[in-house]
Amino acid sequence: MEHDDDGVDEHDTPAEVDAAFRTLRRVAIAHFVLFLAAVMGVPALSLTLGWWSGGRLAGGMSPGFAMAAFGLYGFFLVIGLAAATLSSAVEARMLGGRNDQGTDYAGDPYPSDGELQ
Amino acid sequence: MTITSAGTLAILIAAVALVTLVVRPRGVSTVDFYLAGQRVGVATNALAICGDYFSAASFLGVAAAVYVSGLDGVWYAVGFAAGFVPVLLFVAAPLRRFGEFSIPDFLGRRLASERVRLVAVGVVQTVILVYLVPQAVGSGITWQLLVGHGLPGLSAYATGVVLSTAVVAGLVAFGGMRGTTWTQAIQFLLLLGALVWLAVAVAGSGFHYSEAVADLSAEPLANPVHGDAGWHLQPESNQLDPGAPATFGQPGAAYGPLAQFALILTLVMGTAGLPHVMNRYFTSPTGTAARMTTVWVLGLAGLFYALAVMLGTAARQQIAAAVEHHPWLEELTVDGVLRVPEHALPVLGRIYGGDSGLAVVAAGALVAVMSTIAGLLLAAAASWGHDVYERHINPRATQSQAVWAGRASTVVAALAAGALAIAMQPDDPSPAVPSIVAAMVTWAFAIAGSALTPVFVLAIWWRGTTAAGAIAGMSVGGLVSVSMFVVGALPVGPGLGETLVTPTLVAAPLAALVTWLVSRATTPPADVERQWLVLHGTAADRHAERLARLTIASAEPTRRRRGRGTRRQGDRDADR
Repeated sequence: MEHDDDGVDEHDTPAEVDAAFRTLRRVAIAHFVLFLAAVMGVPALSLTLGWWSGGRLAGGMSPGFAMAAFGLYGFFLVIGLAAATLSSAVEARMLGGRNDQGTDYAGDPYPSDGELQ
Repeated sequence: MTITSAGTLAILIAAVALVTLVVRPRGVSTVDFYLAGQRVGVATNALAICGDYFSAASFLGVAAAVYVSGLDGVWYAVGFAAGFVPVLLFVAAPLRRFGEFSIPDFLGRRLASERVRLVAVGVVQTVILVYLVPQAVGSGITWQLLVGHGLPGLSAYATGVVLSTAVVAGLVAFGGMRGTTWTQAIQFLLLLGALVWLAVAVAGSGFHYSEAVADLSAEPLANPVHGDAGWHLQPESNQLDPGAPATFGQPGAAYGPLAQFALILTLVMGTAGLPHVMNRYFTSPTGTAARMTTVWVLGLAGLFYALAVMLGTAARQQIAAAVEHHPWLEELTVDGVLRVPEHALPVLGRIYGGDSGLAVVAAGALVAVMSTIAGLLLAAAASWGHDVYERHINPRATQSQAVWAGRASTVVAALAAGALAIAMQPDDPSPAVPSIVAAMVTWAFAIAGSALTPVFVLAIWWRGTTAAGAIAGMSVGGLVSVSMFVVGALPVGPGLGETLVTPTLVAAPLAALVTWLVSRATTPPADVERQWLVLHGTAADRHAERLARLTIASAEPTRRRRGRGTRRQGDRDADR
């Protein structure tokens, strides 16, 4: 447990951490399944669907090549940003709320104990 | 080498050395030497991670793989870029919150076992060495092309290897993590700048990406091979449909159906086990910052690899068309196709920018090599210096002695990598694999993804992981992956060989299963609940953030007083 000079109690209880851990694990696994489906799905489609690697988009590039050449990188950024934002929000909501009275909740309508202000 | 090329290289190395000198650690603290004081900001750390991660395999290898194999080469870019998603989801924040010096340090403390630490040191050092050698090979190949001759008594290739490893070892030993962080961030910006310049030059010349892919896909893909009658073009056999010719835009030029997935999975799983990349997360101030750093890395990696794939495609089309107007291409090509695919970007640079263009791209390649070598040497230093020297050889070592042990280990690792790279100089540069540099780096990813990542992720997310389970998992993952390499190098038949040299698909699940089974039969560390609070709680993050706010708040009045003083001085000046 850590105490600061201004008396704010900076620690997490085992129950809080366990609840946050389980929620974060669900977030991570859900995003990972989505990620795996995309990253394995693109080569799988190239192997199974003729139009995916043989078809032509505007200019002549196939949908499969376009996804591998730049589409997937955009997807990685979007899924990474979504997971990071959600994970940080979960932590902010579930951890450190009861003891961190010094936190400024202005602009956050959902206090950390989950009750509406 | 022209004066322009020599000048560009000299300015580059001088700039990197200057940055290292300016930001070198002033104290002798190991936290400063190995972790840059744990105060590296999100953007700086993201740039430094990119400098660490984007090696010769990324800069020369991805474009080369696309050049040789078309879509099958693009899977390298996909796998390299995708690897940071699992890092973000499963590793970045908890790893930083636990807050140790290295992967072995993390595993040793988490599982309360010195045996785990020592086994992890063995695996980490293997990964580092396997990763270092292709970087040195890449610098040798680049020097061959850029300079063409070597120091007295050394070939051009050996000179490139010796100079790059020696310069970087010196910079790392002197600059530590703080100096390395800044040099890697700047090196990545130089690297990205070279790639962007080349992409703009190619696009400005009228290159149409989509049309180029369609044109290249209209005819069978053929690459140079060296036979009894000399060099000639040989059509690539289609690994998916032996009756049909392999083409640029369709899968099958290099990999069979299983090998395509095995390659991507090997690269995806390997990133989370790379010691030089994971060590960077310990330098973040908080777990949340480590997570956001990874988001930045994902964005930068996407930009980098999208450009590398585009340039590999452009090289395939533009170099063949340029042979007629550039006689110097005759000795590098066979019927318009490069003999050494790693030359794709440097040659493209020379076509569009003359000797200056070649110098810019070659400097980019050397920068990629140097920044990755720096990260690897620092990871080797952290592992030897902290996990072996401080823990087992001299437990009473002073901070200064520990730092010097780290410095000495960078020199030893650099010597070993340089010697191996010279011994493994590719005699026949014909493309037996899409890119020899990218392929060699894949071996490092395979060992890391098979031996370290499964244990690493289980240690973070499963309370039941035990020291015995981790040792068994790392041993099985490492041994299975290396055994599969060895068998894959034998003539085992088309399709199977490529799958065996990307063994993570088999080795990682096996390592995870063994870790789970052995852990179930043994007892987890007694203080696992306390460790869970550190790994998955955010108390330390909040503490660090509040300290930072207090520091800023206490600095504000001083700044305001200085500002008022400056304004008064300004008013007095204006009155005069």
